Amino acid sequence: MTDTAYALEVRGITKTFPGVRALDEVNLRLKPGEVHALLGENGAGKSTLIKIITGIQPQDSGELIVNGEAQTFRSAHEATRAGIGVVHQERNVITDFTVAENIVLGNTPVKGGRVQWREVREGAKRVLDLLDFPIDPATPTSLLSPAQTQLVEIARGLYTDSAVLLLDEPTASISETESKLLFDVVHRLAAQGRAILFVSHKLEEVFAHCDTVTVFRDGRSVAESEPLANYSKDTIVDLLVGRTLAKLEVPVRSPSEAGTPALELRDVSTAGGHRDVSFAVHPGQILGIYGLVGAGRSELAKAILGLDRITSGEVRVNGAPAQIRSVGDALGRYGIGYVTEDRKAEGLFLDQTVARNLTVTVLKRLSNAFGFVRERAARATADEYIASLDVKVSNRDQLVGQLSGGNQQKVSLGKWLAANTDTLIIDEPTVGIDVRTKGAFYQLIWALAEQGKAVLVISSDLAEMVTLVDRIVVMQDFEVTGSVTNTHDYDEMSKSVIRLIHEERIDVVEG
Amino acid sequence: MTRGSNRLTSVLSDNRVGLLLLIVVLVVLIGSLKPMFFSPAFVIGPMLTSIAIFTVVGLAQMVVLSVGQMNLAVGGMAAIGAMGSAMVFQAFDVPLIVGIAIGLVFGGAVGALCGVLIAYAGVNSFVVTLAMSFALLGLVPAVYSWVSTGNAITVQTPGLAELGRSKLSDLCIGDTCGPDGIPLILFVAVAAMIVIGLLYSKSRIGREILLTGSNDRAALLSAIPVPRRIITVHTLSGMLAALAGFMLGASTGSFTPGIGQEFMLQSFLGPILGGTLLAGGYVSVIGTFLGITLTVVIRQGLLLFGVGIEGLNILLGTILLIALSADRIRSVAGARSRLRASRQQSPAQPKEEAVVS
Repeated sequence: MTDTAYALEVRGITKTFPGVRALDEVNLRLKPGEVHALLGENGAGKSTLIKIITGIQPQDSGELIVNGEAQTFRSAHEATRAGIGVVHQERNVITDFTVAENIVLGNTPVKGGRVQWREVREGAKRVLDLLDFPIDPATPTSLLSPAQTQLVEIARGLYTDSAVLLLDEPTASISETESKLLFDVVHRLAAQGRAILFVSHKLEEVFAHCDTVTVFRDGRSVAESEPLANYSKDTIVDLLVGRTLAKLEVPVRSPSEAGTPALELRDVSTAGGHRDVSFAVHPGQILGIYGLVGAGRSELAKAILGLDRITSGEVRVNGAPAQIRSVGDALGRYGIGYVTEDRKAEGLFLDQTVARNLTVTVLKRLSNAFGFVRERAARATADEYIASLDVKVSNRDQLVGQLSGGNQQKVSLGKWLAANTDTLIIDEPTVGIDVRTKGAFYQLIWALAEQGKAVLVISSDLAEMVTLVDRIVVMQDFEVTGSVTNTHDYDEMSKSVIRLIHEERIDVVEG
Repeated sequence: MTRGSNRLTSVLSDNRVGLLLLIVVLVVLIGSLKPMFFSPAFVIGPMLTSIAIFTVVGLAQMVVLSVGQMNLAVGGMAAIGAMGSAMVFQAFDVPLIVGIAIGLVFGGAVGALCGVLIAYAGVNSFVVTLAMSFALLGLVPAVYSWVSTGNAITVQTPGLAELGRSKLSDLCIGDTCGPDGIPLILFVAVAAMIVIGLLYSKSRIGREILLTGSNDRAALLSAIPVPRRIITVHTLSGMLAALAGFMLGASTGSFTPGIGQEFMLQSFLGPILGGTLLAGGYVSVIGTFLGITLTVVIRQGLLLFGVGIEGLNILLGTILLIALSADRIRSVAGARSRLRASRQQSPAQPKEEAVVS
């Protein structure tokens, strides 16, 4: 039976892995011109379905119908040819290639065995223009920030001119404004009659931009292609977790900004290009640093840690000028810790055990006078943080690479909790993490502040900022453009933050 | 030696058990065809001396491999270390232990220099140690011809000949003597193995080195002094190479610029056959010893069958290539099983949750 009313139809697809039924007769119907949200907690089966639709894995049973034709894809290439474009969650960009080369990757125009470079450039330019992403296609991808890299991925998904476009958490690591740009493109593509399947953990986005919704839980579809208007955020969350989740209690916080700041920057300029950056974070306060792509937030954190040269201005710790030359210095002499943005590349030792990852910052404390590690103390420390962070492991000697994203992030944070620093800088605390785990992270960060720690949170997720922090510092083009006290009202905060970014832009134009 | 993980350890210890079985089978096979193979004085003794020297050479490479780098100058560092010892023995008539210490200082200093260039100038270890090996190839013979006649230094220091050439059978308490065929120098290698083994399995520095090898960027951002650890391993590598050079000189009785010339291939064979990862982050001291033992048994056995040195080199080179492919296969297989584990794990989690709620 063919029903051409749907661009993509999933009928009773089942997929079993050894010991686990990842998908159990799930259904999904995607109409041309609609933006369809696919929601589910980590491990609910979304990624498995996407792999089936994009030809990475075949289904065990059930039908996949694309534009009225039943398909079983044996390779990703077959899926692309059938008109399915995809933007994967993991960044699959080859950093040695240019932007243009990455965009055409896998679909490079070739004639008579020779790459048609002119077509490559023009094709890349066309999709970059569509995205309103002003970058030279000849730029090496290695020079891009994570968010810009994400945009290149999206450009690749658009390049093949697909009738069905799958976006697997495309906004996980890009800022609000970039997300807006992305959604403009998404709506434009939908208006052209393309069908968009959108996977996200950010419910604000889903409600703002999607028409219909499918929710997966434990490999089953608990809501199938229903109008999003039938749901509220709360009812969706209930569907996601399968019970009424205790609503995240945002504590009433009134941190004092009097007294000596734990960490203060005074007119700091860096070799990396920051100009006259000033802000202060006090003990017990959670300060958020928000900014667009390339605003220089993570770079600033790294400059504070001595990984970039500070050319003028001063960093003060507990009121005294500080000379921080390395992360070891920051930890040992000044009590500052840094949880990295990219947990796989910079935060974790994936081929080492959970215990070794959790104790890395405290090896000195765990060693005796002869430089030998006190194994019993090390095991106790590891167990303590596995328990307090509720890290799901079979035992402390499991490899970190085997854990799920949320649990890896807990280890990445845990190793700095073990260090028990007075000041903690957390870069993108909840990228790619589901609702429940996010809540647990927020609770943890609030608890840290309650204990009197100064916490600096860097995030490109404005909703996260509004929930989590006490004050938002806005950065733009390696400068601080202002700061606002958080009122925890999303619309109000969104307006003031955008205004701060916008004013700076006008200044630039006028200047 | 060090615990990687439940699964990794089981795979790698299987690897070591396999090596041991292979060695036993080869020894029995060669011995039954050529009973001469079991002669303590002519085969077993010299073979154990080779194993001792090459094990220390293997450790010299292993410590650098542990941070994912390599030392192409192990031979040169062995040569300059041995030269340093020989020169002080000749010129100042110092006790044995002082001469050894001076040799280690020579080797360690050259290693440290390589380490500093790699860590602070950011030059690749391959390039730095290759350049260093060429420099030493010229420097060492030049110094020898300057300080000695006939390009060799013969050392008469008391105790040197005993350490280098005596066997347990030469040590007697009353009427009971040790077994013939076990050279005293083997215990120098055992001591080196114990020290390096303790370093990697028990000490903070060893753990910092392994974490640096696992992910140097994460190590730097986790407050590990990465440059210092890179210098540490290269210094240690130079010292171990110098020790091996000294052992070779002591076992033959003469110190020449030729010391260390056949060290390079062996230095990689031992650790790689023994399961040390080229990418860094995991080492095996026992594995290195077993890997060296295997190659020495093969070499000695084939010599008994009259295979020439050229044939041996072809064979050992081939073994290294196979071992390197195995290293690659191990890492790919490791990545695959990790992927499988994560695939199975992630859908499994909600199931747990379902039970809870």
